[in-house]
Amino acid sequence: MSLSMGEVEATARKAARGAGYPWGFADEAGRAARWLSVRGVDGCAALAGLLDAVDGADLAERSPDVTAGVWTAPHAACPLATGLALSDRAEEAIRGVRVEEILAPLLLMPFAALLTGSARQTVTLSWDGGTAVTDGTGLCLDGKVLARAPWVDLSPGGKMDAPAEACHRAQPDPRAWGRLNAFAQRTYAPATEASRRKGAGADATDND
Amino acid sequence: MNRTETSPAPMIARRPPAQVMRLSRLGSLHQCRLSFMRILTRRMAREGWVFTRPVFDVDRAGVGHAIYTAEGPERSYSLVAFAHDLPDAQRSDRVIAEAWDATFTLFDGVPTEDDIARLRGNVPLQEAGRVSERELSLSRANRSVRLWAHVVGALATGQQPDAGMIRDVGYLMRTTAVYGSGKFGAADRETIADRPEMQAPFQAEMLSVYLTRAFVRDLVEHMAQVQGGGNAVRLDPDLARQLGIGNSTGLGMAPFIVNHPILFNNWIMVREEAIARVRSLEVATPEAVGLFRDRLAQSGMSVARWRSEHPQQVAKLAALRGDLETLTAHVAQGGLEGQNPWNSLCLWAEQTLSEEGQECLASLMLEPYPDLVDGLESCMADTLEAGFRVNGAMSVAELRDLVEKSFGWALETNWDAPENCARAWYVSEEKLEPRLGERFEEPVAEYEQPLAPARDATLAHRALAHWDGAAPIADFLIKHPEHRHAVRRAQIAAIAPYGEIHDNTIAADVMPIDMLRAKLSFFGATHFDPRSDRWVRICMYAGAPYPDALTTGNADGWVYPDPAPGG
Repeated sequence: MSLSMGEVEATARKAARGAGYPWGFADEAGRAARWLSVRGVDGCAALAGLLDAVDGADLAERSPDVTAGVWTAPHAACPLATGLALSDRAEEAIRGVRVEEILAPLLLMPFAALLTGSARQTVTLSWDGGTAVTDGTGLCLDGKVLARAPWVDLSPGGKMDAPAEACHRAQPDPRAWGRLNAFAQRTYAPATEASRRKGAGADATDND
Repeated sequence: MNRTETSPAPMIARRPPAQVMRLSRLGSLHQCRLSFMRILTRRMAREGWVFTRPVFDVDRAGVGHAIYTAEGPERSYSLVAFAHDLPDAQRSDRVIAEAWDATFTLFDGVPTEDDIARLRGNVPLQEAGRVSERELSLSRANRSVRLWAHVVGALATGQQPDAGMIRDVGYLMRTTAVYGSGKFGAADRETIADRPEMQAPFQAEMLSVYLTRAFVRDLVEHMAQVQGGGNAVRLDPDLARQLGIGNSTGLGMAPFIVNHPILFNNWIMVREEAIARVRSLEVATPEAVGLFRDRLAQSGMSVARWRSEHPQQVAKLAALRGDLETLTAHVAQGGLEGQNPWNSLCLWAEQTLSEEGQECLASLMLEPYPDLVDGLESCMADTLEAGFRVNGAMSVAELRDLVEKSFGWALETNWDAPENCARAWYVSEEKLEPRLGERFEEPVAEYEQPLAPARDATLAHRALAHWDGAAPIADFLIKHPEHRHAVRRAQIAAIAPYGEIHDNTIAADVMPIDMLRAKLSFFGATHFDPRSDRWVRICMYAGAPYPDALTTGNADGWVYPDPAPGG
């Protein structure tokens, strides 16, 4: 299946909302899935894995304590909450942050990309067995993608060699895409005869 | 034009968002020089686009396909049209319809036979089909049963159709949804946004409708030929030119302007900037006044043909007709003499005319000044929103100020009072389309979409009330992730002051058609005809030259009816 990036973003957004995230986070989930997909990484699979893991969880339990030297959450940290905390604290985050016990850490990269600033300095995310580097635009991924990492380090600098070419289309893992659609489905109100009639306001004839 | 006219002193400010962004005013906007249809036809004429119809393969039952290619300086675009034989009982403009009289896609380039075969398997299915990155839009249209049979019947017997009926209905086919920007697999906006001819908003969609109109004329003549054989005649070019393409627009369009605050800001701000530039002119030359008065008279003719049975629009139309007479008399009596004539006229209008009349005037007074106005069309796209990042270092006090600036009017509202939150926007499972429900009568609240920015800003503002003003908003967002979208919007409003509607979008008395009209007016639509509080019919391209007749001389003023008798 060849999807437009708009479809990836819209479905990811609805899926995150369907899994219980507030709208502001759902917007970011959509952007993150799109950001990864444009760079040739299956952002839908990363997000679907996250949503399956956190479905229905209390977001506070998944948000890192950013006042500590090492960021940790009561339960494995949500990469959206962590990424947004990084982006909201760009000035301190760019100096380097360690996060322990985090889900789908690749989803941090769209947020890490926001730290690079106009100077296009690079930022590197590393974990046991892999690294990801971005200069804000490109992404170089090396090693194994983890569903959950005991630790990740975000640090300034890193070498960008041969970033993947930008993709116009996404071919997500069909199972992951199915999961996202299942989560998205939860945001739709079941149709009733009343909503069919009134909700779209078709009082007057439309065949004349 | 003399120097004082082309070098405006920047003395008249743009109208403030608090005045412009009220729903009643947004629901009274009119097309202007910056409308997307006019931007497109001006460009195509200026660049000498070439139009061809490489295929018209429609049988005697009216079933088949046709291709219309528009060739610009660097690229070509082709409308692929499929004509169907639709039983009357299945004809509906509702988004829940599953079959149409005709279905379309705008192909990026010139399609091969393989492309056509692929599209034939998908385009007629609309939402149930898939298109690819080679396609830029997906749309459909239904016949106007009032006019179609009459026109086919008349032409088949060698007669021209009744000019009065043509005027009253205005179109032979009505489009409904025109999907673009990545929907149902089509190419994303990003893949075409860098092309000069696609830089302005909705140019692919506007081109698809422009070519659709040519197809509809050809199809009606073809059907008359089938029916009448040697007796059939072609549609008189003057009558054909009066025909536009109708459009039925439902609630799907309303969330768009809320969900794209920077884009919507750019449209409104650009028009306000154009208005301010003209208001700042020190004098109006006789030529400018003459052109304005011509356009005003032509607007009167257009408004005279504007039909609606919707009580609110009927009242607005009556006021507008009176306004245009009042305005015409005022200008005839020297209303454009003296210093800063346009500004004086606007100030007079604010005291004298309805909002319909004021906005009609605001659009009309841009007409004599292409040099001041048309260059602004390059500022209407949005290149910022996707990359917009919440500034977590902003202080709580600063954020509170931003909320007060955009939503000061909403902060005292009792958002728990039933009349202030009677409605909830939701998406139905059935067709995945936005609907508006009754919060206290239907089980829709838990599915509510974030389309009440004023309420959400107020809730965020209240949550911020006891926070230390010096604290960074990042600290607040850690504790209150539920307010992130409201914080983001407040920060966006700092760079996009016309991005927020200054009214309650979930009130018991909200009129969604105001939101639809705001957007449709920028397309360049005319003859808004609300069919309820939440769907509206419009006309597009009425009066425009067909592709084979498009010249630099007629590419822009076509929206104003010919003053010639019978025109």
